[in-house]
Amino acid sequence: MTINVNSLPQVELFGQGNVGCKGCGAAIAGRQAMKVLGERTIITIPASCMATLGGSNTRSAWRVPFYHTLFECAPAVSSGIRAALEIQGIKDVNVVSWGGDAGSADIGFQSLTGAAERQENIIHVLYDNEMYMNTGGQTGSQTPIYAITSNGSLGKKVRKKNMLAIMEAHGIDYVASANIAYPEDLMAKFQKAAAKKGFSYIHILAPCHRGWGIKPEETIEVARKATECGLWELFEVDEGKRTRTYEPKLIPVADYFKAQGRFKNLTDEQIAEFQKFVDDYYGKGE
Amino acid sequence: MNKVLITGSEAAALGAKLAKIEVLSYYPITPAFPAMERLSKYIDDGELNCKFIRAESDHSALAAVLGGSLAGARSYTVTNSQGLLLMTEVVYHVAGLRQPIVMGVANRALSAPHSRFPEHGDVVSQSASGWIQLFCENNQDILDNTIQAFRIAEELRVPVMVNYEGYLQSHTLEEVFVPEQSKVDAFLPLKRQPALDINNPRGVNTVTSPDFYPYYKFNQNEAMLESLNLIPKVAAEYNQEFGANSCGLIECYQMEDAEHAIVAMGSIVGTARILVDNLRKEGRKIGLIKVKVWRPFPVKAILEALQNVSFVTVLDKNIVFGVGGALATDLKAAAYGRGEMVINGAILGLGGGKCGVEEINAAVMETESAGSDKNKSVWIGL
Ligand SMILES: Cc1ncc(C[n+]2csc(CCOP(=O)(O)OP(=O)(O)O)c2C)c(N)n1
Repeated sequence: MTINVNSLPQVELFGQGNVGCKGCGAAIAGRQAMKVLGERTIITIPASCMATLGGSNTRSAWRVPFYHTLFECAPAVSSGIRAALEIQGIKDVNVVSWGGDAGSADIGFQSLTGAAERQENIIHVLYDNEMYMNTGGQTGSQTPIYAITSNGSLGKKVRKKNMLAIMEAHGIDYVASANIAYPEDLMAKFQKAAAKKGFSYIHILAPCHRGWGIKPEETIEVARKATECGLWELFEVDEGKRTRTYEPKLIPVADYFKAQGRFKNLTDEQIAEFQKFVDDYYGKGE
Repeated sequence: MNKVLITGSEAAALGAKLAKIEVLSYYPITPAFPAMERLSKYIDDGELNCKFIRAESDHSALAAVLGGSLAGARSYTVTNSQGLLLMTEVVYHVAGLRQPIVMGVANRALSAPHSRFPEHGDVVSQSASGWIQLFCENNQDILDNTIQAFRIAEELRVPVMVNYEGYLQSHTLEEVFVPEQSKVDAFLPLKRQPALDINNPRGVNTVTSPDFYPYYKFNQNEAMLESLNLIPKVAAEYNQEFGANSCGLIECYQMEDAEHAIVAMGSIVGTARILVDNLRKEGRKIGLIKVKVWRPFPVKAILEALQNVSFVTVLDKNIVFGVGGALATDLKAAAYGRGEMVINGAILGLGGGKCGVEEINAAVMETESAGSDKNKSVWIGL
């Protein structure tokens, strides 16, 4: 499935009037996804930047029903919404829960694994800025090793938990990684997920310039380097079939790290460690 | 009306079935699980057209039920004790979102130490949550209150808990009159008000500034208070339609000339009636007030009932540490400034402790001998 950017709908179902920082990766992800999900979508977002920037008082930046849920339970809420739609015979609606890395992989993991195991007909998105940004940028399970955060000035000691592998192990209909710097790839994945009858999981790399120590205008550039250096592979597992959806140029990983304040203390050995990981991985040729 | 011999769990499940709930979720816990299993069986057998979400936790169970309600479905859950505590965050959230969810609570003592026996400590922890709380004296109350709860919740958009006690009620058989389905349908017309409506997109629970937040809370409180007017009307209509005998906010027993009143809620009320009868035979001017509605607290109704009473014994199957029993505390606050009336509280039946006629009698005696020390609670059965 390919996406032609020129034929996308003009209407912005998410984004206008959002109060995100300029260059917010999460907001970019939302805008891209809504271009293909369309107006028959109900979106639930647990406590996070994305929930906060989506509306305040009587204003909403969403032109679809949007519900800012409690932190732990967006996939459970979405399960209930799907049930209510089914009992009322309301069809052709995408029910999406859209969580940050904490709201999906940490405090929100229980409800995510529950809904995935039940094969609920929903799409769960993890938009990944690799930190708890809404509370100031603390370390979580999706923070990469060595990254400096607001409560980890010495850098994280352990590796990032592999959520894509965990979600793949649920045997759900569709699992995909995505990156806001590759909108056609991202949108094609949402199109596939929307057509599934069971559970889909899309994990989007969406940098936060504040947390990552980059300039707002560098969000896309840094995101692109994550994939081009081989650290953020773009792939999907469609009903069990794994496909790499983009072949990276495999630029040196140092090019990716260099630009980011959170990796300013990275040593040459640590960079070499990452490089070896990528080389080994791609060396296998898959 | 047809008469059946059922447990309290079955009465709760039957009430939800008669209300034709559409979205159900729960997470197993003792002693609420028989009600859960019964509901699932109704669905499996095709007797109830309802979507069941097999949640992976109590927190998710109420979250799923909330999703169902937000999207316009009549939604129900049941839990107790640790399950209710885990749900607490969602409990408050549901009330703030004004979702008309009904929840059965098979009251059980809280850990630690571990206990699976009846007590009101679990729901007392939710006293400030913004849910209406109804208490049941017997299995008939459980069925009647569950049906009425949907009507109250949907008219006011305030969620309702229907409390019945673990084992004493959940696992005990009693005769129950069951209303006809067609009449229940007429009593509970379904008016959908989805907050999440695909044809009318809205943002729900957006970030709220201090300019707005207090208004939401004020309105929420007004709706709670309004239920004090609505609940008796709903009960009267229910009694009329079904020939039932459901009280409004409270029920007075032998109160006409009473000088001493026992105030209680839940299963202990039935036992207290026996004690009142016994003491009346001895010539004591004693009566009983059954509190059906604990949240909101029916101040006016109770004070009216206590008008000519000089001494009150409050029976509490809960303890608010460092304060006393919750019902006694509420009553003392309500009676502030009301002259000489003495209100003394008794704590009994914690963690399944005995509360038979003997214990209630001891509560009456010991609260009397505690005299006018209004801040003292006597502990019965230690
Ligand atoms: C139960 C609970 N605990 C803690 C919080 C505080 N909290 C709100 S958002 C957030 C971090 C969100 O991080 P993430 O999911 O990664 O999304 P981001 O803000 O980074 O986009 C935290 C800790 C909360 N809202 N609820």
